[in-house]
Amino acid sequence: MHFRILSQARVRRDIKTRETVAATELIRQAYRFITRNEQVHPRIRQHAQLMLNSFPRHARPSTIRNRCTETGRARGIFRDSRLCRYQFRLKALNGEIPGVKKAVW
Amino acid sequence: MASIIPSIPSKTRLSQLAQLSAKIFNNVYNPTGERTGNKILRKRLIGSTITGWYPHRIITLRKITDTFPGMKLVNQEEKLRLEEIAKRKKRGKGAPKKGQGKRASLGTKKQK
Repeated sequence: MHFRILSQARVRRDIKTRETVAATELIRQAYRFITRNEQVHPRIRQHAQLMLNSFPRHARPSTIRNRCTETGRARGIFRDSRLCRYQFRLKALNGEIPGVKKAVW
Repeated sequence: MASIIPSIPSKTRLSQLAQLSAKIFNNVYNPTGERTGNKILRKRLIGSTITGWYPHRIITLRKITDTFPGMKLVNQEEKLRLEEIAKRKKRGKGAPKKGQGKRASLGTKKQK
């Protein structure tokens, strides 16, 4: 099953995005701090802003998309189980997700 | 009567108080409300939690050879492919050069 999602380009792209974000996070936050700090000289702040722009697109955390770990679907994901709603239902009915039970009343 | 009503302390006195309280409680004394960007430094780094979303990682031979260059692993599939190409080239069955292919020569004929 996992190999199925890894064969999808969008999932692989998302993995790569996550890796780039993790790798560049610290230095990006430092630049961000400089740009937002009014005590720093404006020219330095502007330079930091330019440096922020020079990072690759995937260095931005907002490009990360939470995807289903079973199917790679990008919408309707439960964060706790990291599954899309249908896979969540299937697994829950199978009893594979602990603490989840179908409601009956 | 006047002695009962507490007199309002002066501005400098109040600022001194604020400075002292900031010192005691380990806060930043920033009376003008200048933006220092501290809220960015206060944020937790998310890298470690982000990379663990997908349970399995893609591990290719390329990654292994890149990280351990001393191991000298051979990509068998790639090696076989290159050998096959070399063999075909020897027999004169290799890929044509640019501009020598079927389609390219067709185009030149039409122009004439």
